[in-house]
Amino acid sequence: MRTDFTKAAIHRTILFGGGWLALTGADPAALAPGLLVSIAAVWLSLRLLPARHPLVLWQVVRHLPRFVAGSVSGGVDVARRAFSPSLPLNPGWVEVPIDLPEGARAALGGELSLMPGTLAAGSEGNRLVVHLLDIDAGPDDVILREEAAFAAIVGQTRTGGA
Amino acid sequence: MVTDLATYALTGLGLVFFWAGTIGLIRFPDTFSRLHALTKADNLGLGFIALGLAFQADGWATLAMLALIWMLALLAAGTVAQLVARAALSPPEEDEE
Repeated sequence: MRTDFTKAAIHRTILFGGGWLALTGADPAALAPGLLVSIAAVWLSLRLLPARHPLVLWQVVRHLPRFVAGSVSGGVDVARRAFSPSLPLNPGWVEVPIDLPEGARAALGGELSLMPGTLAAGSEGNRLVVHLLDIDAGPDDVILREEAAFAAIVGQTRTGGA
Repeated sequence: MVTDLATYALTGLGLVFFWAGTIGLIRFPDTFSRLHALTKADNLGLGFIALGLAFQADGWATLAMLALIWMLALLAAGTVAQLVARAALSPPEEDEE
């Protein structure tokens, strides 16, 4: 548990410190206040959202190209449907059981809203409620693939299929 | 010169996606389909505009700022889309979960 805490503290220091550097353009005069602000932000974030599932950073990096590709095809797909005179939509719902910690499920829901054809509307119990633009397009495997990616990111070892 | 052309092309492409998102918002039949259009098309539109502007950046600080803006907008889009969909799905009476 101690290592989880340390890992999360390091990740969040990188996140907030990096954000400060980006905002200030790494102005040397802003470094000292940035240090204080980063420490305060990390402390506050660890209080508000205790470290439970530190991210596996290389899995985040590994997921990035697929996320960008999914964003592009999601945007192109929805633009094509919007511009098409016949408005090709066949909307419907699926509920997918998602075996992820609470926060990771919400993050997955947020990500799915940017992937082609899927839009999360929160969860019912452990099932993610997903709206599909085209129920015949079969994006179920997209959801399962993204779930597996998120499981790897939070360092969850999978038991059984999926 | 070449960088200016890249900026024109990419920001132009970005505007097309923002336009598509707006068309979808108007044409799509229900709240949920409209959310698809807004989140996905605007995410991509902003991405292309940020990428186009990156060609005008005079240093890494501007690039980092553009990347930060895009990431924060993505985070907001994914989160808000889910919350709006959730609210639209719930029955009108107040339900505390």
